[in-house]
Amino acid sequence: MNLRSSVDIITEWDIVAARQLGRNEAKDVGFGTVDQARITTAISELARNIYLYAGKGKIEIRQITDGNLKGLLVIASDKGPGIADVRKVMEDGYTTSGGLGAGLPGVKRLMDDFKIETVLGEGTTISASKLLR
Amino acid sequence: MNISVELQTIAELHIKGLIGGEIDAFTAPILREKLAEVTLQDNIHVELNLQDVSYMDSTGLGVFVGFYKSVIAANGHMELTGLSSRLKRLFDITGLVEIMDIQARDEEVKIDETV
Amino acid sequence: MPQEFKRQYREILEQYTQRQTEHNLYEGQNFSRQLIQKNISPEEVISIHKASLEELMPELPNNVWHSFDLLIEVMIRYGLALKEHQTLIKKQENFRMEMELASNVQQTLLKTKVPEMNSLDIGMISVPAKEMNGDYTHFLNDDTTVGIAVADVIGKGIPAALCMSMIKYGMDSLNGAETEPIVVLDVINRIVEKSVSDSMFISMFYGTYDTSTSVFTYASAGHEPPLFYCAKSNSFSELQAKGLLLGVIPNVKYEQHSISLGKDDFVVMMTDGVTECRSKEGFIDQKTVMDIIESVRDQSAQDMVEYVFHKLEELQEFEQRDDFTLVIFKKK
Repeated sequence: MNLRSSVDIITEWDIVAARQLGRNEAKDVGFGTVDQARITTAISELARNIYLYAGKGKIEIRQITDGNLKGLLVIASDKGPGIADVRKVMEDGYTTSGGLGAGLPGVKRLMDDFKIETVLGEGTTISASKLLR
Repeated sequence: MNISVELQTIAELHIKGLIGGEIDAFTAPILREKLAEVTLQDNIHVELNLQDVSYMDSTGLGVFVGFYKSVIAANGHMELTGLSSRLKRLFDITGLVEIMDIQARDEEVKIDETV
Repeated sequence: MPQEFKRQYREILEQYTQRQTEHNLYEGQNFSRQLIQKNISPEEVISIHKASLEELMPELPNNVWHSFDLLIEVMIRYGLALKEHQTLIKKQENFRMEMELASNVQQTLLKTKVPEMNSLDIGMISVPAKEMNGDYTHFLNDDTTVGIAVADVIGKGIPAALCMSMIKYGMDSLNGAETEPIVVLDVINRIVEKSVSDSMFISMFYGTYDTSTSVFTYASAGHEPPLFYCAKSNSFSELQAKGLLLGVIPNVKYEQHSISLGKDDFVVMMTDGVTECRSKEGFIDQKTVMDIIESVRDQSAQDMVEYVFHKLEELQEFEQRDDFTLVIFKKK
């Protein structure tokens, strides 16, 4: 089973659409309310980053399986400026909203698995997944 | 922990500043930031009045030396005025009085050049 | 694990909704300690609350259940902020430990041995205000001559400490105790001027004492002038020497002076941690410092510096604002 769907992020309203899609998929997989809220918060954060720093991009949501476990994979991709220092942005307290638990370290905490690929001047792709346990 | 820094452009390329309070390790960063706001154009003249400075330690001295260096780099001129005898002594001891334009308060203008 | 928490919480909640005693609330408070210890996030706590209510009061209207979903959503960020806070605290603890280590390394690196000389009694004390000392003292000696450097890096803490290692290596590159003070200052000034940032400066005093002639020769790079005590006239004077701080400009002319020491005469070298002492009433003036020193002039140089430190510490009500260094050379 490999269901996929996506939302283009162009305006701030698209962040809500991406959340809605993520929540529907999370419910469909069988995640409880708390995990649904965690996944949508992660999606919010990723979509907001696209909106703020890249201008436009895409949030893609896939249902996945890992052995017996079902889960959700979120892929945020953009063709924006890329991230110069990945280690820095992954550091706690670095983001401008430092101390508020936001930013990419927050996404990493909310999800089980987190990958980031970025090329300066070409764009960034972030994949984050969570399994239903 | 109190310091006041008021900067005023009184003419083209002429800036006057009035500094008051205590300049120590806690307040020196505030002074440094304020002075960094000065746009250092060619031939700028910066006159800083320290008449209301009640205390200054070596950290404060560091701020003025740093600022002096950047003013000189811009072909400008920095002048410190209204120094109390205590402040003046700091600039004397450190030898800075030899390279900077420093004026003590009126009652103590005579600069002791004897060795 | 969450199952166990759910069971416990449900019990506390059931008791409280029935009786509303302070004891129930106290149990709730203790329960929160466990939750924090086990890293249970706020959103999870709300979800436990909701689940417990579902069992205890299933008849509650739907809109109440929905309201919990909103609250869970709102609390997610609190959970993240809490986790971030926890890692930052851990990081801070690491920094603190590294600082301690660095300060030990500094102490080992900059350790200097007070030399034993035949006709000269030497006393030294150097106490940092924070972990890292911004004052630096270094002795160089052979059989007849002893050289002394007292330096103060403007600025405190780590940057000052790093800067000091530079002086140390500069000093190590010199040819022993007999190097002339103005040469020493010139060498160190060139090193510092090249390598230090624009707002960092060092004041340094360098002196050499020749035991065969009893002459003290010295030069100063913007440093606090030492005090000279003449036993015969029972009076103090300042050992003035013109010279600019190290690191401001590359070529500086330093003045070199000499003074001859008689029996029981002594030279007091210090940093501004001594002269800039402040008590509640204001500055502790030079006269006070002189009086304190004079009152113990008959003691050994080491006893003298220790006494002066404790006395000034007392006057400042034990609030040391700056690094404090005092060295006394006393002719036996």
